[in-house]
Amino acid sequence: MGTHAAYDVIVVGSGAAGGIAAYVLTMKGLKVLCLEAGRMLDPSRDFFTHKFPYEWPYRGEGKPGQYGKLPQGMEWKIKEWTDHLYTIPAEDPYALAPGSKFTWTRLRAVGGRTNLWGRGCDRFGPLDFKPKSLQDGWGEDWPISYEDVEPYYDRVEQLIGVSGSSEEVYNTPSGKHLLPAFNPRCGEVLIRKGAVKLGIKVTPKPLAVLSRIYDNRPPCHYCGACNWGCDVGARYSSLDVLVPKLSRQKNFELRTNAPVHTILMDRSTGKARGVTYIDTRNGLEYEAYGKAVVLAASLVESIRILMNSRDREYPSGLANSSGTMGHYLMEHVAFNSIEGFFPQLAGRPTSNDDGPGESCLYIPRYNYGEKDRKYLRGWRFDFYTGCGMGPGPGARFPGFGSAYKKKIKELYPAAVQMGGYGEGLPFYWNYVEIDPGGLRDRFEIPQVRFHTTSEYDHAFAIRDEMYGQMEEILKASGAEIFPYEKESPYPLGSVTHEAGGCRMGNDSRTSVLDEWNRCHDVKNVLVVDAGCFVSHPEKQITHTIMALAYRASHHLAEEFRRGDV
Amino acid sequence: MGQRLIARRQSLKYLGMLAGSVAGREFLAAWLPKSEKAEPIRPTESSYTPLFFEPEEFSAVEALTELIIPTDQSPGAKQAQVARYIDFLVSAASEYNPALQHEWTDGLQLLDRLSREKYQRSFHEISAREKQMLLEEMSLPEQDSGRTHPGYKFYRLLKEMTVEGFYTSQVGLIQVLEYKGLSALSEFPGCTHPEHQS
Ligand SMILES: Cc1cc2nc3c(=O)[nH]c(=O)nc-3n(C[C@H](O)[C@H](O)[C@H](O)COP(=O)(O)OP(=O)(O)OC[C@H]3O[C@@H](n4cnc5c(N)ncnc54)[C@H](O)[C@@H]3O)c2cc1C
Ligand code: SF4
Repeated sequence: MGTHAAYDVIVVGSGAAGGIAAYVLTMKGLKVLCLEAGRMLDPSRDFFTHKFPYEWPYRGEGKPGQYGKLPQGMEWKIKEWTDHLYTIPAEDPYALAPGSKFTWTRLRAVGGRTNLWGRGCDRFGPLDFKPKSLQDGWGEDWPISYEDVEPYYDRVEQLIGVSGSSEEVYNTPSGKHLLPAFNPRCGEVLIRKGAVKLGIKVTPKPLAVLSRIYDNRPPCHYCGACNWGCDVGARYSSLDVLVPKLSRQKNFELRTNAPVHTILMDRSTGKARGVTYIDTRNGLEYEAYGKAVVLAASLVESIRILMNSRDREYPSGLANSSGTMGHYLMEHVAFNSIEGFFPQLAGRPTSNDDGPGESCLYIPRYNYGEKDRKYLRGWRFDFYTGCGMGPGPGARFPGFGSAYKKKIKELYPAAVQMGGYGEGLPFYWNYVEIDPGGLRDRFEIPQVRFHTTSEYDHAFAIRDEMYGQMEEILKASGAEIFPYEKESPYPLGSVTHEAGGCRMGNDSRTSVLDEWNRCHDVKNVLVVDAGCFVSHPEKQITHTIMALAYRASHHLAEEFRRGDV
Repeated sequence: MGQRLIARRQSLKYLGMLAGSVAGREFLAAWLPKSEKAEPIRPTESSYTPLFFEPEEFSAVEALTELIIPTDQSPGAKQAQVARYIDFLVSAASEYNPALQHEWTDGLQLLDRLSREKYQRSFHEISAREKQMLLEEMSLPEQDSGRTHPGYKFYRLLKEMTVEGFYTSQVGLIQVLEYKGLSALSEFPGCTHPEHQS
């Protein structure tokens, strides 16, 4: 086994969480080694931002059947534009317990999934951190409150650049110094008009996309192709924004192609002393030593590392004296969107509706305090309108020939689809473990197995309510809705907003992490990705991941300063 | 959330599902044009050597795709070379999805059989008008879920791949739909129509 010099902190992963952790710790003067499983990316060669479907051999879809049967929520991600970035499940499988479904989206490269993420940048609200005590008595509160996290939301926004508005929305806080919001498209304006009639607020969606020059980064040029990677870095990714800042620092080192396998323990102190990792280019295992280990490998990978570190002393995995590690996995309640068209927009000339990729408006949660309902908590709605890179709603009509072609053209500018996320609930019985069947990855590291279902009572109940509400809003906006079937809630992971698995809490018997993201059992091992989540509100999660990674890293740096590590 | 309106296959998934319910049929009654006018089909003039199809099959695919998306006031499947794209795709299916090849060869054989039953000639030999009528019959279950037709499954495959091939081509996407995106703008004005705002 090879060895390397000692560091203050070893950060595992360079995505949303790891990028922030490495940045905060490095800027605080600590000696940081970031181990990243994937390779370095070069946006000019790895991102095909401006490539049209007909410039690919298979129009972007790959050879028929090339990617295997992709799980729900992954079909639209893996294309010829991106298949060299994402891990294709058929090539690197994970295990599922009988009857279980899980959509595990992996992107092993510097920057992780921030390279291709949707950029929606919500803050959680005060009620979201205290669902049990402030909402309905169900589940658990977080050991921290909105006030604890607020300063870190501010700092993250300042660092990454977020456009939006500071409009007041109940329990949906927004930053006070955001870049200007983007201009909404025709269909979005129609929905706003319709929702207002129902007393429902429609607001600009906070997006980690620049509407102005910021921090020497160019503004968005409205090509709409962010899901294939932004060629100019106008949206936030840790690759484009933090890695350049970090590479100028002498106390920062990034080692790529270096998936971490286990955490090394010092028996005498009960503390971690480093990690083992594989060099994927030669397949050999190495060790790296540090005074603290910060796991930010995306929660499933972080949990896998802790579980693969089990030995005689920690038979059920490192830091798992509570037995809750891997449990309470969560995801939004999500399902098929409702589709239709605006007769008011039919037959108009084609407009360029790409904008900043995402929609510019959305409907934040508005249902509070209702009694007698079969579901808990609330939902948000997102909607997508206008001319896209496909035939649009007209293609769904029956028939063929000139009339069919004309229908497609006529409805092309009129497209609308609306979908939503409901709050997903934590259950002990939704969990991930090391595969008891012995599955290993290509580096011979034991792989995980999911034991998860999204089909629980609350999910169906909130889904039905959401369908009804979406129909009302669309109708109030004058849209025609295609008849649709109610699909079962999509599998956990299908929104790529998986969370939980090593939740934080004050009680070490029922949680894995403390309020500073440190393992109760091993205080110099931190998990700073979404593993720490206690609940899963309707809001998108990555801003909260980053704010908590900022907060935990800040605290760790303070501990170093005080000599407590 | 999702990628806005880009996931073509997602929207194609629903092709023809509308007639499956009462609500769907009412919806269609309100939104479908009452009659469809057939356009004449021009003979094929190509020196293309198909990768997968036999020459006779290939000219059937050309005729069929042009029936689905015809050349009228704007270019159709032929200009967009949709048949070549389908030939290329079906040929490439040998590696991971050989079933797709069978669906096509079986479908074309079935088409011949249906043509012989109805017109006592192979699909290749019947007139453009007859081809159109045959396809119309095959498509009936799409509008009326009470009907069945042995050729319906193949019709759906044909339609799906033609629509996909056409609207991902430069001709279909840029010339016909006039998609203006994936470009670089200095400003994004959004909606500028007072009538939408209030
Ligand atoms: C298409 C798409 C759209 C999305 N849209 C949104 C959105 O609009 N809003 C939102 O809030 N979220 C969105 N997300 C989710 C968001 O990307 C994730 O929540 C976020 O990136 C998670 O951060 P992370 O640091 O935990 O994981 P990642 O960003 O995935 O980073 C993990 C990193 O760890 C590395 N790694 C893994 N295993 C190891 C190991 N053993 N050793 C070393 N390194 C390792 C990986 O290579 C990777 O670089 C989207 C995701 C996708 C894919
Ligand atoms: S829309 Fe804007 S942020 Fe997205 S890829 Fe294009 S330039 Fe980048």
